[in-house]
Amino acid sequence: MANDVPANGDKLDGVQLAILNKRIQSICAKMANTLLRTGRSGVLNSARDFSCVLVTAENQLLNVSESLPIHVLRGADMMCEAMQEFHPDLKRGDAFLHNSPYHGGSHPADHTYLAPVIDDDGIHRFTMVAKAHQADCGNSIPTTYHGGARDVYHEGALIFPAVRIQSDYQDNLDVVRMCEMRIRVPEQWWGDYLAALGSARIGEREMLALGAEVGWDTLNRFAEQWFDYSEQLMITSINRMPGGKKVIHTRHDPFPGAEEGIEVKVEVEVRPEEGVIEVDLRDNPDCLPCGLNLSQACTESSVLLGIFNAIPEDVPTNAGSLRRVKMHLRENCVVGIPVHPTSCSVATTNVADCVGNSVQRAIAELGDGYGMASAGAIIPPSIGVISGSSERTDGAYVNQIFLGWGGGAASPQADAWISIGHIGNAGGSYQDSVELDEMRFPLHVAGRHFITDSGGAGRTRGGEGVYCEFGPTQGDMEVGYVSDGNHSAPEGARGGGVGACANQFRRDPNGDLHQLDACAQAVIPEGHTIVSYSCGGGGYGAPHERSAEQVAHDVREKWVSVDVAKETYGVAVSAAGVIDEAATGKLRDAQGG
Amino acid sequence: MRFAVDTGGTFTDLVVEDDSGEVRMYKAATTPTDPIKGVLDTLDAAAADYGLARPDLLAKGDMLIHGTTHAINAIVTGNTARTAFLTTQGHPDILVLREGGRIEPFNFTVPYPQPYIPRSLTHEIPERIKYDGTVREALDEKAVIEIIAALKETKVEAVAVCLLWSIVNADHERRVGELLDQHLPGVPYTLSHALNPSLREYRRASSAAIDASLKPLMGEYMGGLDSRLRDAGFAGRVLVVTTQGGAMDAADMAQSPIHSINSGPAMAPLAGRTYAEADSGADTAIIADTGGTTFDVSLVRGGRIPWTRETWIGQPYRGHMTGFPAVDVKSIGAGGGSIAWVDEGGLLHVGPKSAGAVPGPVCYGAGGTEPTVTDASVVLGWIDPDFFLGGTMSLDREAAAKAIQSHVGDKLGFGLHEAAAAILSVATENMVHAIEDITVNQGIDPRGAVLIGGGGAAGLNVTAIARRLGCERAIIPDIAAALSAAGALMSDLRAEYSGTLYTQTASFDRERVNELLARLEGQCREFIAGPGAGSIEQIIEFTAEARYPSQIWEIEVPLRGNRIASDEEVAGLRDDFHATHEEIFAIADHKSEVEIVGWRANVRCRLRDGVQWNVQEAASEVEVPDSREAYFSDIGLAEARVLRFEDMERGAEVAGPAIIESSFTTVVVDPGASATRSKSGSLIINPVSGG
Repeated sequence: MANDVPANGDKLDGVQLAILNKRIQSICAKMANTLLRTGRSGVLNSARDFSCVLVTAENQLLNVSESLPIHVLRGADMMCEAMQEFHPDLKRGDAFLHNSPYHGGSHPADHTYLAPVIDDDGIHRFTMVAKAHQADCGNSIPTTYHGGARDVYHEGALIFPAVRIQSDYQDNLDVVRMCEMRIRVPEQWWGDYLAALGSARIGEREMLALGAEVGWDTLNRFAEQWFDYSEQLMITSINRMPGGKKVIHTRHDPFPGAEEGIEVKVEVEVRPEEGVIEVDLRDNPDCLPCGLNLSQACTESSVLLGIFNAIPEDVPTNAGSLRRVKMHLRENCVVGIPVHPTSCSVATTNVADCVGNSVQRAIAELGDGYGMASAGAIIPPSIGVISGSSERTDGAYVNQIFLGWGGGAASPQADAWISIGHIGNAGGSYQDSVELDEMRFPLHVAGRHFITDSGGAGRTRGGEGVYCEFGPTQGDMEVGYVSDGNHSAPEGARGGGVGACANQFRRDPNGDLHQLDACAQAVIPEGHTIVSYSCGGGGYGAPHERSAEQVAHDVREKWVSVDVAKETYGVAVSAAGVIDEAATGKLRDAQGG
Repeated sequence: MRFAVDTGGTFTDLVVEDDSGEVRMYKAATTPTDPIKGVLDTLDAAAADYGLARPDLLAKGDMLIHGTTHAINAIVTGNTARTAFLTTQGHPDILVLREGGRIEPFNFTVPYPQPYIPRSLTHEIPERIKYDGTVREALDEKAVIEIIAALKETKVEAVAVCLLWSIVNADHERRVGELLDQHLPGVPYTLSHALNPSLREYRRASSAAIDASLKPLMGEYMGGLDSRLRDAGFAGRVLVVTTQGGAMDAADMAQSPIHSINSGPAMAPLAGRTYAEADSGADTAIIADTGGTTFDVSLVRGGRIPWTRETWIGQPYRGHMTGFPAVDVKSIGAGGGSIAWVDEGGLLHVGPKSAGAVPGPVCYGAGGTEPTVTDASVVLGWIDPDFFLGGTMSLDREAAAKAIQSHVGDKLGFGLHEAAAAILSVATENMVHAIEDITVNQGIDPRGAVLIGGGGAAGLNVTAIARRLGCERAIIPDIAAALSAAGALMSDLRAEYSGTLYTQTASFDRERVNELLARLEGQCREFIAGPGAGSIEQIIEFTAEARYPSQIWEIEVPLRGNRIASDEEVAGLRDDFHATHEEIFAIADHKSEVEIVGWRANVRCRLRDGVQWNVQEAASEVEVPDSREAYFSDIGLAEARVLRFEDMERGAEVAGPAIIESSFTTVVVDPGASATRSKSGSLIINPVSGG
């Protein structure tokens, strides 16, 4: 490699660009592997709710590990900016803890560690960013999704706006002790601290080695050229897209502090000839006295992930490709730029999903072959934060579990990736093993499976929702969840049907079901269970355009019932999947298919 | 005398080792519809060469070790048995939900994978065992019998059973097995606890599903192999290579055929390790095995062959997890038979489609029309059309040239030689990419490793690959053309036994742990006394699968002894965990206690002493000229020296451009590179002269 590097000022050729890109990708991949394998919180080691990012000294997003889109498209760059503003004296061995949604953070549960890469001459070259969602962040209730929080004070999380947590590679124990005094299950937090900081340090070590090997100037040239290359790919992709302007509304259900629900309005304009996509979010409600407000990082990321989902090509996501997206946001807007002390406790999921889903659906409505339907809304109890105290866990336990979520959105090219989780997660999350959870926690999983007919009908089918029933085996268990989609079903696109709504109940020892609120900290006594229905996802295209053979397969495999096959798809088929051709012809003629 | 036969997609390789250590190799075309025919054909070739009748040759054999792609081919082509899945009531979607996870977050053109066993063949059994092994809900036998009746109705050919927590209490799974025996006799089944007693129901269920679906087919294959070899006069032991790089008796393999999934490629690194050490003293090597259809990369790191714990058939999250660890091998569709084609945008591609054994490359003259890497090599003058497979097969250069010109040259506006050279360049780039993928994953810098070329087509671009990777040395062993088969001869008998038992270092359950370790050791001893009887050396190694509290991904920590007898030894295990964690992840939490979830015992029985081979090439009647015209991208047409591999003196050096040929392989030494014959007989290539 050292031999291949061109003299100063020369452009890198295509092969050199590709190789350096691979080297940098593998550094971020290595960081991610460390975080996944060593993280303690379920949300890290199961849901992969973390990201590892490389940012330039000019605070430009250069590379991201393959991780949750809602985490990585914007925010790391803004956090690095805050770090440089607050700490103009960066030294090798520094590291910063950052979780402030008012300074580029996503939401306070996402503890982020920033490690500046300083070369041998003391020059700041890059910043390694490792962001890791915590099981607990010191909120006033044991959940990291405090939907009912009136403001940041009611929310209760400790906020760290780029606070120096290491100097000279040594921990700042003052900060560590503050966290230990406020965060539940502090050993778990400490383990996550080691994991995330370790990940940033591994990245730093590798970047220092790469800089020494190929030269920092070469890396700078690489970054510039890579941004240009990515921007060019983005322009080409947008050039092919159908042009026009579309306004889409998506509703978030009524929640405490947002009793009327939240109607998100997204205006998307695609201008193919200019290679530009413009998104306006200004005509939306002001920030609300609840935890659903988006941070700026989440607002922008949710717009961008809707756009990248909508483009069939593979375009690198970095500062270069992001140049082609123009966003209009305003301060003090529920989907904009929050003003302290607005709470952003649930900024990465619920309302962010409304924005992302609206964007991809708007693009779908501009032309067939583009965009996607809406993915299911979350966070159902099966993905809730469980807490309690038991002998089994040697005292208190707080952790998010991932017992099952589906609800993928149909795309023009394929049926949904069923287990998408939610649009911001993109299916990266693992689904917990029943055995693993029953071993770790005092709980019993009575059942979990996908729900027939819960996916939106369409030419391509939306993903099914998950039924999950579980309860404590020792003492009471609290389950914290914020389940959107109880009322507003995930929409289909271009004539596709809606996904099924979410729902939740408590089952008492007699087997009777009791309705639970959509946003709650439910107490489930021993002997009772909580029953969770997660949303389905929307379908794409008219159902009668789906081939009868595919529908027969869906019926045989129990994704679609015989009745829905007949009434919605216009296919007469037996439960065993045998098609009645004549009857199907009649049904489809009647549907105009 | 010992035989090793490796059945690949295009060729079947045979290596014969006689009692004096003399080794000979043979190749025959693979017959996809009857792979055993290829095995017998190679034995025919060997018999002719030894001047014996086939029964007489076979009668001399003590052992035949077989590597086969039969199982993986059946899975990839969807030809496995119609298999049903029986699981705990309430949890029918274990194989659908899997463990989640997805690659390429923004790519929604890839559909969600179909479960390995369809939902329509999945049945829920009323029963439930708790995490501690106690029964929460008794097994409803009447319901099981009704389900079995339904299975009969739907004509299932195999059954996979995975019940929750069967790893701590197998009573229900066992009883379901008995009921299957009773009510569905003759239909093979797999019980998850017996096959793969590990935590996490998806992995265990997936293991059972894959295994059961292979049983009818692999039972028949193993039976056929055994009986046809017996009929042919072989009276020795038939072993089959496992995915873990060991060997097991064919009859045992028929009982758990999942272990044969990556049978062939797992052997190459065994041979690679031996040659890397013998020829360069290196303990880090990249083994690149190029056959007709696939290019398989494996590694040796610090003298050990790295494994992967999570083995997927197909891509991660899009394919199916086998639930077993395996020798880490990366395979791509690239080889001598890979087809070159130009897409609508004018971009040249090579592979993954292969001309395979039938019809084969255009130059075989057997009906192939699309140009391949082999055709390009013939056109470039690298492969001698009159000396292919030692002159036993003559190649049609004209047909190859025509195909390259029309399918590639004309579309790119290239002349014939330019087009052929471009095909090789793209093939090289594909291979380099595959190597980079696996080395990055395993944390190996290719520049510090030696490159070992194996397989018939390895020599064509081994110099080019070494240059691209920055390797200082590339080695082509004299047995390279049958590297996997050679590795099979170096393999040990292996078995692995495991158990799930949760405990932590703070409150270590010594009694139950030692009980489990004693049981695992007993299983190993039984293996040694059974299949391992008569082996030269037996090694049992124990490992703990451990993690920090509230982590969920375990790492493996070797135990210092066979039991954990004292508090000091528990502390030792804890220290070893911290050290291993730090080695892998660069961090350790020294304050923390450690949880142990699983325990494993590995038993290895060594079948032979160190390898001291003397490879004999079948003599060829064909006269080969000293030089011929060949084309190289950087210097164009040039007169290249031509040498016979077996005639090259030990210690002799040749400067490129040169072509070194044997009956089974062609090694191209590019201009600017050089090659030396080592003491062991390998060809050592220095990709950059003076480097």
